[in-house]
Amino acid sequence: MNIREKILVIEDEKSIARFISTILTANGYEAMRAASGSEAMSMISSHCPDLVILDLGLPDMDGLDILRQLRSWSTLPVVVVSARSHEQDKVSALDLGADDYLTKPFGTDELLARVRTAIRHTRTATGNSEIAQQGTYTVGDLTIDYNKHQVLVRGENAKLTLSEFRIVALLGKHAGRVMTYDSIIKELWGPRASGDNQILRVNMANIRRKIEKNPAEPEYLFTEVGVGYRMAESEN
Amino acid sequence: MSHSSSKPKNSLAALFPFSMRDLIVTALILFVAVAFCILLQRLDPSAGFATPVFVLTVLLTSRLTTGYFWGLFSAVLGVIAVNFFFTFPYWAFNLTITGYPLSFLTFLSVSVITSALTTKTRQLDKLRMENEKIRMRADLLRSVSHDIRTPLTSIIGSTSAVLDNPDLSQEDRRSLLEDVKQEAQWLIRTVENLLSITRIGSDRTELNKQLEPVEEVLAEAVQKARKRLPDIKFSVEVPAELLMVPMDPILIEQVLSNLIENAVIHGQTTTAIHLRAEKTEDGFAAFSVRDNGQGISPALLPHLFDYSIRHASPPTGDGKRNMGLGLSVCSAVVKAHGGRLTAHNHPDGAEFIFCLPMPPADPAISTDLSEEESL
Repeated sequence: MNIREKILVIEDEKSIARFISTILTANGYEAMRAASGSEAMSMISSHCPDLVILDLGLPDMDGLDILRQLRSWSTLPVVVVSARSHEQDKVSALDLGADDYLTKPFGTDELLARVRTAIRHTRTATGNSEIAQQGTYTVGDLTIDYNKHQVLVRGENAKLTLSEFRIVALLGKHAGRVMTYDSIIKELWGPRASGDNQILRVNMANIRRKIEKNPAEPEYLFTEVGVGYRMAESEN
Repeated sequence: MSHSSSKPKNSLAALFPFSMRDLIVTALILFVAVAFCILLQRLDPSAGFATPVFVLTVLLTSRLTTGYFWGLFSAVLGVIAVNFFFTFPYWAFNLTITGYPLSFLTFLSVSVITSALTTKTRQLDKLRMENEKIRMRADLLRSVSHDIRTPLTSIIGSTSAVLDNPDLSQEDRRSLLEDVKQEAQWLIRTVENLLSITRIGSDRTELNKQLEPVEEVLAEAVQKARKRLPDIKFSVEVPAELLMVPMDPILIEQVLSNLIENAVIHGQTTTAIHLRAEKTEDGFAAFSVRDNGQGISPALLPHLFDYSIRHASPPTGDGKRNMGLGLSVCSAVVKAHGGRLTAHNHPDGAEFIFCLPMPPADPAISTDLSEEESL
């Protein structure tokens, strides 16, 4: 028998909750709905879903509070839903441990892609099974070699500097997911690093010039404006 | 207690505001007047001209400064100057001259009346500008509401057609739903534009500006446009040198996506769009969106960025959808950044260019990290 992944949709707008769960059900997931924060919390503990889709604007609780509570005892993957102009909410949600976000309005493809990525990452504890097994991550013509500390583009060493390599290596480990500027800076330069992200941005620009054909049409390293960076995910 | 006493103080402060500018203006006018009188005195030692010259001085000062203070100040100085320097006996006060109280009174009246008129005119100007703003906002609301009604009518109509007619062919059903989707997408773009307007705010300081690499904003705009407009061929070009420009990236992305949308809808035959960023010689970052469509009609060119003007002109049919709102948002965003937006035709279509000011190169943020060894 096929075990279907359970997804809890926390959304107070009935019509949005309905279309999300319809899409999920049609694509082989088991969808449940909660319309308020308190209902959501009790459903999470009683039904143990595999993934939560969380709208940040709920009537009874701040979506970020739900996330904070949830993260105090669970690593259950969470995809938050928010409007375009609220990029600060997205950043806060990601920094609080959300796995990804969807910007309203979103289509079927986007929803399913985010759900797939988030679920895949929970299956492999290190975040990326290929890295764990072979010590490399490959997407398209790009290979990150974690043992040799090298990034190869079409087989050629891209000659990244040490900090450039560490940025690419980090994004590769979390491929498919957005990492906020702050989380990258903290991870690479420690928790006391300055909140100023200029050095990171300049490093990224240099990396793009070394590994992308056209820095303005990236194939591997995507920018989420106002939020952070995302490494392309390999198909397999 | 302190509240009740602060009120009259405030209104007094409004009547007698102090500003460095007014001090300089007053000093300058008085200096010119004195210099002029000294020069004239050589020609006409009787100095009968002094009083009219200083009346003029008081008039000018009252007109060109804010509030009553500087006018009164120059009136008093004027009376003293006329009496002391330019009336016999020179270099001495003589309060017994006939008509002296009259001339003192004249000076004061000129000052008070002119200041009062000036204050009133300024208030009227301010009021007129506020009214203009309110009118523009009302025009905008009216036009947007009108524009929104059309797609909503279509959405309600199409969905009712699907819901009320179970016998519709699969094909009809599909095309009706496609329409609904398209209209809804148009609506969301309109709403994003309206939100952008609120994000600009009324004051330049409210912009959420930070240094952003130009290529990242361009890349994201193009990536989203490709998804939305799969039939258009996009190309992007950025300089090898990294351009970091202070901007609100969400707003600039909105500008780019509006210009792309505009190139497709109004270019009519557009099949390819080329985006380019470069540094201009006068220290701006220039973004260009160039299409290969029909170009902009010359009649429209002067009013391109003015939403209300285009709507005030006789309607050209109820169903005409336009991107006027999008372009006026572009113009407002670019202006709020202290930049400029221009449009022109080229032999194969239209090109929109906007320039954002760049800060002088900051040595602290070196874009050259080559001192680090590569691996």
